[in-house]
Amino acid sequence: MAERSEASWLQRFEALPIIIVYALLLALFMYLSPGVFLAPYMYTTFLSTLPPLILLATGLTFVIGAGEIDLCFPSIIAFSGFIFAVLFKEYELSWLAVVAGLASGILVGFVNGLIIAKVGIPSFMTTLGTQFFWAGMATVLSGGKSYALRGAEESSVWQWIVGRPFASSSVDWLQQISIQALWTAIIVGFLWLILTRHRFGEHTLFIGDSNDVSRVVGIDVDREKIKIFTLMGFLAACAAIILTLENKNFFGNQGQGYLLTAIASVLIGGTSIFGGRATILGTVFGCLIIGMIEAGLVAAGLTGAWVRTVQGLIFLIAIIFYMYADEPQRRRALLARMGFTGKFGGARAAGSEGTALKRTKS
Amino acid sequence: MAPAQADFASIVRLEGVQKFFGAVHALRDINLTIGRNEIVGLIGDNGAGKSTLIKVLTGVYAPTAGKIFVRDREIQPNEYSVRMAHELSIETVYQDKSLAEKQPLWRNFFVGRQIANRFGFIDIKREKKVAQEILLDVIGFRGVGITVDSTVANLSGGERQGIAIGRAMHYNADLIVLDEPTAALGVAEVRKVVDFVRKIKNSGRACIYIEHNLAHVHEVADRLVVLDRGQIVSQIDPKDMTVAELTEYLIALQRKG
Amino acid sequence: MRLSTLLLVGAAACAVAAVAGRASAADPIGKGLTMYMQMGGNPGDGATLARQTGAKQAAEALGVDLKEQFSKWAPETMIAQFKEAMAAKPSCIEIMGHPGSAAFHDLVKQAVDQGIVVTSGNAPLTDLQNEFGPKGFGYAGVDLYAGGALTAKAMLAQGLKAGDEAAVWGKFGSAERAISETGLAETLEKAGLKVERLVITQEVDSDASLGVPQFAAYIQAHPNLKAIGTQHGSVTGVMPEALKKAGKKPGEIILGGIDLAPATIDGLKSGYISATLDQLLYLQGFIPVVQCVMTAKYKMPGLSLNTGAGTVTPKTIDALTKLIDAGIR
Repeated sequence: MAERSEASWLQRFEALPIIIVYALLLALFMYLSPGVFLAPYMYTTFLSTLPPLILLATGLTFVIGAGEIDLCFPSIIAFSGFIFAVLFKEYELSWLAVVAGLASGILVGFVNGLIIAKVGIPSFMTTLGTQFFWAGMATVLSGGKSYALRGAEESSVWQWIVGRPFASSSVDWLQQISIQALWTAIIVGFLWLILTRHRFGEHTLFIGDSNDVSRVVGIDVDREKIKIFTLMGFLAACAAIILTLENKNFFGNQGQGYLLTAIASVLIGGTSIFGGRATILGTVFGCLIIGMIEAGLVAAGLTGAWVRTVQGLIFLIAIIFYMYADEPQRRRALLARMGFTGKFGGARAAGSEGTALKRTKS
Repeated sequence: MAPAQADFASIVRLEGVQKFFGAVHALRDINLTIGRNEIVGLIGDNGAGKSTLIKVLTGVYAPTAGKIFVRDREIQPNEYSVRMAHELSIETVYQDKSLAEKQPLWRNFFVGRQIANRFGFIDIKREKKVAQEILLDVIGFRGVGITVDSTVANLSGGERQGIAIGRAMHYNADLIVLDEPTAALGVAEVRKVVDFVRKIKNSGRACIYIEHNLAHVHEVADRLVVLDRGQIVSQIDPKDMTVAELTEYLIALQRKG
Repeated sequence: MRLSTLLLVGAAACAVAAVAGRASAADPIGKGLTMYMQMGGNPGDGATLARQTGAKQAAEALGVDLKEQFSKWAPETMIAQFKEAMAAKPSCIEIMGHPGSAAFHDLVKQAVDQGIVVTSGNAPLTDLQNEFGPKGFGYAGVDLYAGGALTAKAMLAQGLKAGDEAAVWGKFGSAERAISETGLAETLEKAGLKVERLVITQEVDSDASLGVPQFAAYIQAHPNLKAIGTQHGSVTGVMPEALKKAGKKPGEIILGGIDLAPATIDGLKSGYISATLDQLLYLQGFIPVVQCVMTAKYKMPGLSLNTGAGTVTPKTIDALTKLIDAGIR
């Protein structure tokens, strides 16, 4: 009936498939545009444009791992970004503006969690609604205007959060490195530890696996869900502040473009949309891939239309791959149909199918 | 492996327990005693309240009225919870809901009571080691291709029940509650489950066992408690009735209402 | 395994096609130059297509290696794409003014210091033009205020009087971009009309069809409305739809807009659209490439070209149809 084999080599090393894909894509882009991808500048640029996406996708990894979804985070980028920008610029509150910005994101996330866990409205609907609400609030409060944070790079806030620690170096690409990459690495690394080794991470996966089972084994499902969405709100606020500081600008509707890219990054990385299986390492590489594709294709000379096509293609291939990797019966059936029998996938095709093909190599 | 000795007559006693869900009177005036080392079979038709009774027994639901005694000590209904039940050595094995499908066995063994440090970080090495011991010694899986890293989805139905029962026994449960453990299992798997149930009694513990299939429960229970429309209508010694007679009795009950 | 093979084959095919497409005749003056260019919305958009065509033809003629970037008109995406362009160390980069001079200033300075020629189009960055003009920072686009005013004048010429009600939809609140609608609105007000200013949201900005219900609702709620003005290309294209939904006949409301999207052409032909500013998107694509070559090779300073030369009306549209279909006008 069920396959007994040990976890295959693919599953043993976390996120190995997506890392391989990333390496292949990188090699491809290096081959197509050596001037761009063999020089350090593109990578130092990624260090200052990808951190917000990575933070968002990490939060989403917990959310999706728990079997839920969050559509609200783009509006947190606008709302918390606004709170931060206006306090930073108009009221010159400096670090207090940062605290306020983070607090606003935590608040939005907490409210989302409350509605989902206590009132019981499915997360899709809840966050769809709150997304409109908070984006609207951001527009109402900001009057639709953008805020330029002129001179922000003088402030300690800017220096510490997105500053260039090697600005005085003589090596020009070193100068570009933004410290936000370090903070992001620390936050994401810590959350990776939580997901894989902490009770909270285990609870998240169990909740994603089955709410009922989780309750039965003593997990306070409601409380953990609230924590998960609050974490998402916090990470979205971090992303908002980094984005706003890096651009030295608050744009009225910033954040909208992140919704689908963040979700796609998580799913490409190997986290299952059904919950119960999540990998932060995979998510990070998913972000790197998504972030790299546009620049890579443009540098190779392909027009913009190709970017979406390629992103979609990679997404589909990844999803199909994960489905087959996850369900041994389907994988065996597919491979048997293609004539492969033997170790990878197993020779025992499900049921009576494939009997004629059974020529076990050994 | 035997449960800790202490001076008490019954592991769980319910006195005058009522449970309402809104206007629905799910449990009426339940008086039930489970001895220290017996297998009690809980039978009755669909909707009789068997699952609800179990959930009250194990802290999932709080009774609307009545008293609960664990080891002869009264427990306040509003304090009683699943976690407390675990602390009092009462474990439940649900049909479909005891194990998380996609998670590895070692996590399933320890979730909810992880071996963790003060900050909540799990000692994975130790959990896996202990899980391995449980797997081999308590449950007795040897050389069948299952390791502590296997996910539950790779196990057959009977094996899953075995894992869940083994988990309960590892935690030195004095009372193990089984909710329809043989539903949807093939003949060979049912045999495995029934053997596990016998193991519970042989290790000196008590078990309460909801079952639809009268033949299974008749074979292994010391006492049969019949529930009908929220009330306990009779308690029967299996030696006094054959399976056929039991079936007739239940059908007659159903018609009476 | 399959993924990499697929992609490798696909990429190889594209690379071959790209190389084969290069002209091999006598060396054109821009040979060896690479240019990253911000096209604006989505590839093939009404407000983007002619720009793409102009840029592509200029690049082919001059031998420049052109890389197109599409930002869906989102300012923060434009900034991120500028950074990526800088990292690729091209000869030139063309940007648009939507994020504003303040947001772009430091990045542009960095690029110029590295020897990259930076120029602009479509929406101006006046401060940056003043500062970096000598280094080649030019502008090919509409003088926004004048363009809006021109459109308004064309609308007034179709029979609007003092006291009439008008609605102007624009991206009021965004950097320099709203100046065009402000020009439109103020010119109408100077002629004595009562103008209400309405904001185009980010969603409608990227996908104008989303705005049809709100436009129609507004029109129906204001029975005395005599004129509608906008300087947003896609909104111009969908406005006739909104008028139809609100039960208006062509010409009942004087509609002034911008660009020549396919839907706008239909609008002109059917009479729903009374006048549209032709901002010569083709030139907005063509000229920056020329600017790039002129500055990179011949050290010429940045030049300003006002491409908002005139309006197209239902009377003049027929003559242009063929060119529009070819993606040139």
